[in-house]
Amino acid sequence: MSRWTRRNMLRGMARGAAVAVSLPLLDLFLDGHGEALANGAPIPTRFGTWFWGCGVNTARWFPSTLGKGYDLKPELAPIAPWRDKVSVFSNFNCILDGKPNLVHWSGVMATLTGSAPLKGGVTGGSAEAPTLDCLIADHIGRGTRFRSLELACTGQSGVSYSMRAGSTVNPSEVDPIQLYRRLFGPEFADPNKAGFTPDPAIMVRESVLSSVKDDRDTLMRSLGSADRQRVDQYFTSVRQVEEQLGQMLQKPAPAEACTIPKAPGQMTLGPTWDVATRTHDVMAQLLVMALACNQTRVFSMALSNAGSNLRKAGEPVSFHELTHEEPVGEKLGYQPKATFFIERSMETFATMLKHLDGVREGASTLLDHSLILATSESNFAKIHSVDNLPILVAGSAGGRWKPGQHISGNGDPSSRVGLTIQQVLGLPVTEWGSGAMQTSKPISEVVS
Amino acid sequence: MDRRLGKAITRLALPCCMAIAAIALAGVDFVKPTSAAAAQDTGGSHGPALRRLNEGQYLRSIEQVFGHGIRVPGRFAPPLREQGLLAIGEAHVSVSPSGLEQYELRAREIAEQALALPGVRPNCANQGNRFDRDCAEQFLGKYGRLLYRRSLDAAELAGVVAVSQRAAATSGDFGKGLQAGLSRLLVSPYFIFRLERAAAAPDAMGRAVLDDTSLATRISFLLWDAPPDEELLAAAERGDLREDAKLAAQVDRMMASPRFEQGVRSFFFDMFGFDQFAGLVKDQAIFPKFNSELARDAQEQTLRTLVNLLVTEKGDYRDIFSTRKTFMNRGLAALYKVPAPSAGVEGWAPYTFPDDSPRAGILSLAGFLMLDPTHEGKSSPTIRGKAVRELLLCQPVPAPPPNVNFSIVQDDSNPLLKTARQRLIAHQESPACAGCHALTDPIGLSLENYDGVGAFRSHEHDAAIDATGTFDGKPYVGLLGLSQRLRESADPPACLVQRLFEYGSGRAVGAGDNAWLETAITRFETDGFRLPALMRRIATSTALRSLGPALPEPGTQQANLGMLYRRTK
Repeated sequence: MSRWTRRNMLRGMARGAAVAVSLPLLDLFLDGHGEALANGAPIPTRFGTWFWGCGVNTARWFPSTLGKGYDLKPELAPIAPWRDKVSVFSNFNCILDGKPNLVHWSGVMATLTGSAPLKGGVTGGSAEAPTLDCLIADHIGRGTRFRSLELACTGQSGVSYSMRAGSTVNPSEVDPIQLYRRLFGPEFADPNKAGFTPDPAIMVRESVLSSVKDDRDTLMRSLGSADRQRVDQYFTSVRQVEEQLGQMLQKPAPAEACTIPKAPGQMTLGPTWDVATRTHDVMAQLLVMALACNQTRVFSMALSNAGSNLRKAGEPVSFHELTHEEPVGEKLGYQPKATFFIERSMETFATMLKHLDGVREGASTLLDHSLILATSESNFAKIHSVDNLPILVAGSAGGRWKPGQHISGNGDPSSRVGLTIQQVLGLPVTEWGSGAMQTSKPISEVVS
Repeated sequence: MDRRLGKAITRLALPCCMAIAAIALAGVDFVKPTSAAAAQDTGGSHGPALRRLNEGQYLRSIEQVFGHGIRVPGRFAPPLREQGLLAIGEAHVSVSPSGLEQYELRAREIAEQALALPGVRPNCANQGNRFDRDCAEQFLGKYGRLLYRRSLDAAELAGVVAVSQRAAATSGDFGKGLQAGLSRLLVSPYFIFRLERAAAAPDAMGRAVLDDTSLATRISFLLWDAPPDEELLAAAERGDLREDAKLAAQVDRMMASPRFEQGVRSFFFDMFGFDQFAGLVKDQAIFPKFNSELARDAQEQTLRTLVNLLVTEKGDYRDIFSTRKTFMNRGLAALYKVPAPSAGVEGWAPYTFPDDSPRAGILSLAGFLMLDPTHEGKSSPTIRGKAVRELLLCQPVPAPPPNVNFSIVQDDSNPLLKTARQRLIAHQESPACAGCHALTDPIGLSLENYDGVGAFRSHEHDAAIDATGTFDGKPYVGLLGLSQRLRESADPPACLVQRLFEYGSGRAVGAGDNAWLETAITRFETDGFRLPALMRRIATSTALRSLGPALPEPGTQQANLGMLYRRTK
């Protein structure tokens, strides 16, 4: 084996050498041990973001000890069974450097795009650069039917932390029935079925989209630069859907762990706690099967919006209002009602880990073949602080990521986490982000 | 200088400074503006716009082009509100990959259904399976023109026909070929977006202007919220819209059409933030009368009230704050505790609130009072005050500073602070909060006699509600008192003129538009604050056609200043 392996190259970068990594795409689908399924197909690596709103209580969430085997505080206790597969990042900041602190917006965009945003607030805003899921999907998501999936659990499709640069969110699937139809409806081709005949109707659809691209040049000529960017995004979307159709003309690769789930029943959607978490659970199971069945490799899931409207049924105020209005208990040292939602959010993330870890793939699990970045938009939502953002990364990217550590960033920009994830997943980037969030320093401790 | 002119110009040119000035008046020395939207407000860009059709516009386009009965599947991307309007946000959004999946799905299903309609399917499509180029060109050219809202050029048409031909060959079915061609038109950015183009030559004043079909599109979306019909498109192609009399004739024809009512509804839907009704939830344990049907009815009631007052009766816009005439159905009658209508169209019947009722004007209707998606279990005076300032008066309220210590705010189970007023006064003891809350809370608190879904109440937690307030320095009591103050204020009509122009042109007004806007505001007053007259003036104005700042017609500025001068004296 050559000494120029991905791992050696990444190590080189970790020591500060500016090496642009550009590896054949196929390599991405092999895990660190060169593990492959019994049928010989390589096991792909997946990436997802998982968002919860309104932050944490620092003293009750962040571990005190660094490195492996970190201690679990009450708010992180739900992840205990997966501690060795989850890394915690503390003291990674959204560095504003003169930009405004856009409440419930700056923090999440800084971590996910590597740039503090210039426009937005509690109802959303714009992104200066694409979010990580888009960047990674462009790289590892091309071989699947869906380049990525966006999901939200409170019934509102505008709740999404997946964006290209600009103000258009990639809207979320919010209804499990619609998600099921999109994934496993009539257009789903079972990867483990013997026969395959390409459908001529798909070819016609492909040719329609291919022809739409003819409109591009004349359209571009008549527009200013801001509108050109929007048209560019439109045509990028056209290309992506065209590629999706192209995938459907080919016999899908077998996927050992793929079992077609049962269609979910009708369910109420909305932001009350019980309803949202039930939605999360059903969607998480569909998502896990979408990953196992090679329908997508990338996802972005939001438990709620950043100014979280999650609420207990019968209670007049939401999580977000509680963070601002509820007094800090004198003896407790935290806001008990708001903290309910922080603790339950981590329980909900733990159910996602459970579902991912429950799918066997080769000698390990789907979770082991993934990197899941979980984060929120604030540290302490009451005062909208964006220093020491809560960041978790679960999984080990098929052996390329050393999981289960608590790492302190000592005040570095949170974009270091995103840069490291991109490099581990094989994206040819040596630096990422803009302004004070720009970084060329991956987190070497997690690179294996 | 005329007081109102000064105010309006300040507001239009420097919205954030207006807010700061108001804060200063409220007794706070200085508040740094933190809202990025306010800080970045450059007054909107000019030049041809690219606006994505919203869901209603898409549905109406399909109905207008192909006729009734086509089912439009799929989900639409969530709308974006910018600088007060969805119509401005539409000029800033694009299409995501999952959004495009939906457009592609819609295109196929609409094309399939359309080709099955006898009025759409051309006879030449039934002459066997041989590919008939003339037939395809004629069919795709005709529907292409209606969908793109302009004629296709030769190269565009050839491209679409080629898709048709390939699909006919693949499927061995000419009809399927036409279907693919129609799909191709429906998924084109020229249909999904309203692309405006500049005319080859500037106007008589040497200013860059829209070309004829782009202007026709602006006019028809302003008046109907739908694409131009065949007649308007033909008039535009003949150059008629460049002649004042012919332009006015088209505008008058469109305003006489039943579609005009939809245009007015769409505008107020946007201006009053009714997109927030989508997915609006209130806690049914706290508000047992609330359900999604009641929310839909509340929205419908306000729109019916507005259309009746402003279009049917051609009433004074300021009367939206005082009219007791509305429409009632069973669900709302229970909420307002009035007799349910015994009969009516679709369950709705005209209704007039009695003189001693606490209901008059649109602020007293559930369509305003429950429209707060951020509070599901209570009313928020701050949000209501902000809605009055921003939606009705065009006065942006700065966002809360990010690092405020909210610990002064007590929870609503505090036995000492029973009413929202008591809790908010405690909050306002913090000077950093006081500035902005002084803009919103006095208005919102005077509406506290109406709970989170709009039911009337006199007490909160056993404490009597104090509904006194001040507006523009004048004291009043309760929602009806506020409505009276708003009825007398010059700001709501000025805001309406501004919003209508922004809605039509797809951009926020800037300092360069002030002179035109002032003229339009004065004329609105001269017209007795009649909405149809205002819409007619905007639809026929050179400002709507202009790609630069909206400038007054030659000669009018002088006359207008003269008039203002006389009035001041």
